[in-house]
Amino acid sequence: MSLTMISSPKSEPGLRRGERNRRLKIVGVVLITVSLMFPLAWMVIAGFKGKTEVLRSPFQFFPDMWDPKNYISVARDPQFVRAMVVTFVGAVIFTLLSIAINSMAAYALARLDFAWKRFWWVFCIMPMFIPGMAILLTSFVVVAKLGMLDTMAVLIIPGVASAVQMFFLRQFYLNMPMAMEEAALIDGCSRWQIFVKIFVPQSAAVFVVVGIGSYMAYWNAYVWPILTITNPDLVQIMQFLGNFRSDRGNEWGLLMAGSTLAALPTIVLVLFFQRYIVNGVRISGIK
Amino acid sequence: MSEITPTEAIVGQVAGVSLGLSPRKGSTPRVATHLRDNRTAYLMISPMVILLSIFVLWPLIYAIYLSGFQISFYKGAEFVGLKFYQDVLEDPKFWTSLRVGISFAAMVVPAGMIVSLMLASFIKTLSSKLAGFMKVTVYVPAVISTVVASVLFLFMYQDQGVVNWFLSLVNAGPVAWLNNPGTALPAIAVPAIWLGLGITTLIMLAGLLDIPDSYYESAELDGAGFLKRTWYITIPLLKNILLYLFVTGFTGALQMLDLPLVMTNGGPVNATTTPNLFIFNNFRGATPYATSYSLTTALLLFVVLGAISVLVFRLINSDKSVDG
Repeated sequence: MSLTMISSPKSEPGLRRGERNRRLKIVGVVLITVSLMFPLAWMVIAGFKGKTEVLRSPFQFFPDMWDPKNYISVARDPQFVRAMVVTFVGAVIFTLLSIAINSMAAYALARLDFAWKRFWWVFCIMPMFIPGMAILLTSFVVVAKLGMLDTMAVLIIPGVASAVQMFFLRQFYLNMPMAMEEAALIDGCSRWQIFVKIFVPQSAAVFVVVGIGSYMAYWNAYVWPILTITNPDLVQIMQFLGNFRSDRGNEWGLLMAGSTLAALPTIVLVLFFQRYIVNGVRISGIK
Repeated sequence: MSEITPTEAIVGQVAGVSLGLSPRKGSTPRVATHLRDNRTAYLMISPMVILLSIFVLWPLIYAIYLSGFQISFYKGAEFVGLKFYQDVLEDPKFWTSLRVGISFAAMVVPAGMIVSLMLASFIKTLSSKLAGFMKVTVYVPAVISTVVASVLFLFMYQDQGVVNWFLSLVNAGPVAWLNNPGTALPAIAVPAIWLGLGITTLIMLAGLLDIPDSYYESAELDGAGFLKRTWYITIPLLKNILLYLFVTGFTGALQMLDLPLVMTNGGPVNATTTPNLFIFNNFRGATPYATSYSLTTALLLFVVLGAISVLVFRLINSDKSVDG
C-alpha cells in the first residue's frame, strides 16, 4: 500500500525514459490491484462495522472503531463452525478421490493401448459437452432413487469423476518422456507399478493444480447442496451463507464477516500454492 | 539392431504404432502384452466409466426419456412425442429467458475479454517479480465462490452502499441497482466479469508469451502504437485462444445460475431470469409436468450449446493440424 505514495512521473521532468516507464508501471500495478481487490477489501472492512454503522448515511468509509465483534460471533456460531468443518472434510475426501480416479483413467487413456480405446475416450470426455443444467435435475432424481439424499456421499460421489480434470491430466501424461517407462517395462514392472512408482511421483505439480480445482469446486458449490441436503448437520458452507442471507439479510456486518471467513480457506490455499496455479495454464496445453 | 527390437516393439505398443516386426519374434509376446494392457486399462478406467455412467449418462438418458413422456399418478407414462418441446418453444417466457441469457453473455464476455487482454498485455511488459505479483492479484477473485460474490455485491449495491457513494461523489443520485429492470442485469454482469477475469487473463498471458518479441520490435520500429500492434499482431496470433475463450465464456455466461439466483432470484419482472434460472425455478415450482417441462428446456439448450462447442473445437483442432 505504501506504493500509492509514489508521485506522478510527470512532476519530475528530469527522469530518464526507462525510469519513468518503470514508475508508470508501478502506478499501473497499484491501480489495478486496488480496483480488483476493492470488493474483497470492502467485505473485510464491513465485517468490522457495527449494526448501525454498516449502511448509514452520511456514508463513512472506515468504521469508527475496528470492532471484531462480528467475526467473533460468526466464529462462535456452532452452525457456522459445523458447516466449515463438514465442508472441509468433504472437500478433502472429494479432492483425494477425484485425483485418484481421474489420474488412473488419464494414465490408461494416455499411455496404454487397449481395445475400444477411442470409444472410451469419447465416453470419458463426453461430459465436457453436456451443460450441467441438462443433467442437474435428473441427477437429483437419480440420487434420490439411489437413496443418497442427505448423506455425505451425495455431495462427494456424483462429481468425483471429472472429464475436464481427466483431460488435463491426460495432456500432462502424453507429454511425459518415454524413457523411464520403457526401462521399467523391460525390467518387468507391471503397468500398475509404472503408474504408481513413476508417474504418480512426477505428477505432484499437476496434482496440486487439479486438486485445487476439485477443492474449490466442492467448497464453492451451492446449487447441488441446496437440492440434496436438508439435514442441518450436513449443511455446506455456501448453503449456510445463502440461508444466512435470507434469514438475517439486514445484518450486513455479520454477513460480511461470515462471507470473509467462508472465502478465507480458498484464498489462503491459492496464495500458498500460487506458483503451481500460475504455471498450471502452461501444463494444460490450452494455449 | 536385433537387440533393440523388443524395445521398439514396446515403444510401438505404447505409441500405438505398429512396427511390422518379423512374425517369429513379434507375434506371441505382442498378443500377450496386448491382453495384459487390456485388463489393466479396463481396471484403470472402470471407476471413471462407472461413475460417469451413473451420474452423467443415466441422468441424460432419463432426461431425454422424461422430455418425451407425460407422467401422471393416475395413468402410466404416456408417450407424447415432441409435445413438451412444442410447449417450451411456444412459451414466451422461454424466449425472454433466452434473450436475458444472451444479453448477459453479451455484457460479460466481450468486456471481460477486452479487460483480460489489456491486463495480460500489461503483465507481459512487467519485470518477473511484478508480473508474479500481478498474476496472483488477478487470480484471487477467481477463487471466490459465486455465493460470496453475490452477497458481497448485494451489499455494495444497497441504497446507502459503496457503489452509490461513489456515484454521489460525482453528484449522481442513488440508483436502486437491483430493483430496476434496466440496471439489474448489468449489475449482475459486473461480479461475473470480476470472477472470470483471472483465468482468462492467465490463459491469454500464456499465449502472449509465445509470440516472439521480434514481431513487436519490428512493428515498433515501423512506428506502430499499442493499438495497432494489438490489432495486427496480438489478435491474429492469439486467434485460437481468443476463439476458445470466447466460446467457453459465452456458453458459460449463458448458463449462469448462481449469481441471479442469490442476488435477484430472476426479478425484477424477470429481467434477470437467465435460461438456467428459468429452468431451475420451473423445476422447484409445483406446477404439473414441471419436471418434464424444465427438462425439455434444458435439453433444448443442451443441443444448441453442445453444437456450438463441438463445432468450435473442431474448428480449432483442424486449424492446429494445418499449422503443424
